[in-house]
Amino acid sequence: MTKQSITQYYQKHRKAIVTATSGLLYGSGWSLGYLTSFEMASAAILVLATVVGGYDIAKTAYHEVTNRTLGIKTLVTLAAIGAIVIGEYWEAAAVVFLFSLGSYLEGRTMRKTRTALQELLEMTPDTATVRRDGTLQEVSARDVEEGEVVVVKPGGKIPVDGTVVDGESAVNQAPVTGESAPVHKADSDEVYAGTVNQEGALEIRTTGAGSDTTLERIIRRVEEAQEAQSPTESLIDRFAKYYTPAVIALAIGAYAVTQNAILSLTLLVIGCPGALVIGPPVSIVSAIGNAARSGVLMKGGEHLERAGKIDLVAFDKTGTLTKGETTVSDIEGFGVAAADVLSLAATAEKKSEHHLADAIVDMARERQTAATDGGATVAQADDTDVGRRSVPDPDDFDVVAGKGVIAHADGQEVVVGNRALLDDRDVDVPDRVADYVREREGRGETVVHVVRDGDIIGAIAMRDELREAAPGVVAALQDAGIETVMLTGDNDRTAAAVAEEVGIDEYRAELLPEDKQSVIEGYQADGHVVAMVGDGINDAPSLATADVGIAMGAAGTDTAIETADMALMADDLERIPYAVKLSKATRWNVLENVGIAVLTVTVLLAGVLTSYVTLASGMLVHEASVLLVILNGMRLLRY
Amino acid sequence: MSDITQFRVLDFDCPTCASTVERALSNVDGVQHVKVHYATGRVEIEYDDSVADPDAFAQTIENQGYTPQPA
Repeated sequence: MTKQSITQYYQKHRKAIVTATSGLLYGSGWSLGYLTSFEMASAAILVLATVVGGYDIAKTAYHEVTNRTLGIKTLVTLAAIGAIVIGEYWEAAAVVFLFSLGSYLEGRTMRKTRTALQELLEMTPDTATVRRDGTLQEVSARDVEEGEVVVVKPGGKIPVDGTVVDGESAVNQAPVTGESAPVHKADSDEVYAGTVNQEGALEIRTTGAGSDTTLERIIRRVEEAQEAQSPTESLIDRFAKYYTPAVIALAIGAYAVTQNAILSLTLLVIGCPGALVIGPPVSIVSAIGNAARSGVLMKGGEHLERAGKIDLVAFDKTGTLTKGETTVSDIEGFGVAAADVLSLAATAEKKSEHHLADAIVDMARERQTAATDGGATVAQADDTDVGRRSVPDPDDFDVVAGKGVIAHADGQEVVVGNRALLDDRDVDVPDRVADYVREREGRGETVVHVVRDGDIIGAIAMRDELREAAPGVVAALQDAGIETVMLTGDNDRTAAAVAEEVGIDEYRAELLPEDKQSVIEGYQADGHVVAMVGDGINDAPSLATADVGIAMGAAGTDTAIETADMALMADDLERIPYAVKLSKATRWNVLENVGIAVLTVTVLLAGVLTSYVTLASGMLVHEASVLLVILNGMRLLRY
Repeated sequence: MSDITQFRVLDFDCPTCASTVERALSNVDGVQHVKVHYATGRVEIEYDDSVADPDAFAQTIENQGYTPQPA
């Protein structure tokens, strides 16, 4: 070893070396005094142990005092000096050694908590292979410019955010979305930095590199969340501000009354609110870090503490419990050919952005393309264009929110909508139509009527498949004692059929977007702590109203992350029971930590006042309680 | 001109230690705003770059007994 490497080693492990040296000195000083009669030598070694172990503590204490903060290091320094002054060398050395050992272990464990997120960042490779000036060049991943094409080999990590321009592969997106199953990526699909290309080579056009990637943004948000104080934390902080000076006053008072220096020094040491102030932040940082690694972004301790009290989860139906891919399942013409019903409805709905409208227009394009190209390969090449042209624009069109659309085309008035819209417009609904609608709705489908110039000419039934995970998720929440509710704009019969299929406790149907908000307010008024799960965009108002808003599929959409208290990076419903249970576990963990801290201080205080607890044993128990709350909090990292 | 720099200190062993470092840094010449987060070990310093010497920040943190790392 060279001199330089010894110095480096010392600097890196200074705390461990200092603690170990102080411990060894303490041990030998104590044995010397206990086993032999070399009391002077024993005392000298114990003082040396105090000085070695206490130098750094005293230095920080000096800074605490000059910066006018009052911390445990000041108290420990005072206690050690005091003990030496009154000749209790053994106590002085013990306090210093136990405190160094405690804070060394605390620093080490906290480092683990603090680096839990760094592991995610290390997923991003440092270099990228870029197509530049006609050749492939290896450059630093941070220097890749927007628009440049990056080549990623099979098995390689993706260095930038971007869109696939060539190749096809399965990509493991776990670092960003928490999903363990690889996702298939092909032309024009989005990929994220830090994810792993598992199968084929991909060429990616960069949309973000360096610190401007989804992963980096998520990590920044997670850190902000970890740093935001929860209500419990700020309460404790406010308490600690008065507590420490109060302990000092108590120690001085005790000395004035009893003239017992050891007693008041012990009070100083055990009175530090260590475990109390450290416990809650460790629990919350660990929980938020764990959630982030599973693809759940928690907005902060406050949100987490509220989520721990959830007793009712409301789900938006479309796109949350269902896949959100509505397709036409049946078209019925009443005196008119089904194809005509479809094309008329498609024209009326063409300008609407509603998901039911999309399903109708898509179906019309498919059918017409099939009919017009007649299998000819020429038309195939640009079938989307043919399709687009085949649905004519309406002359005008109006949306009636939650009910349907009213449009004009070719001099005809076309209304496409639900029963409520028909009733508003006094359209007569024949039994035959009503029977058809009832039958389809009983299967969980949504039906719209197509009305031409006041007469019903047909109906279109649409279906949105349930997510496979939905029944299991609802059951898991019910097992955890949480009520489940489905909110939907669908009619009662459709909603009832879907609700039964998912096994949900309750459903509320025929809700306009603003109704969802008042339904949530209603549950809150009944004393429920309500979580609302939705897509974060259409449901933004109800997510904001709920005690805890949970947005799904949030990777890449900043709006969803803004409005929600929790965001699921992937469209993975199964994260919801996990997130709710983690929040509950965190709430308990915080309470446990506060309990441990208060209990320790109470027991120690009683012990000191009845002279059972000395300076050294008080310090031992105090440091042990701090370690205990840190380790307890860190359990949440592995939850 | 005002500039922002960050450090990461992984070895804070108590919340008071973090606030002591925060106070010490805010006393460095040219520092306008400091936030030290105990939970994540992140140190954010906003400073006037015509007055403050960024090298002094790391030195100040070291003087308090902690190890700053570039963030």
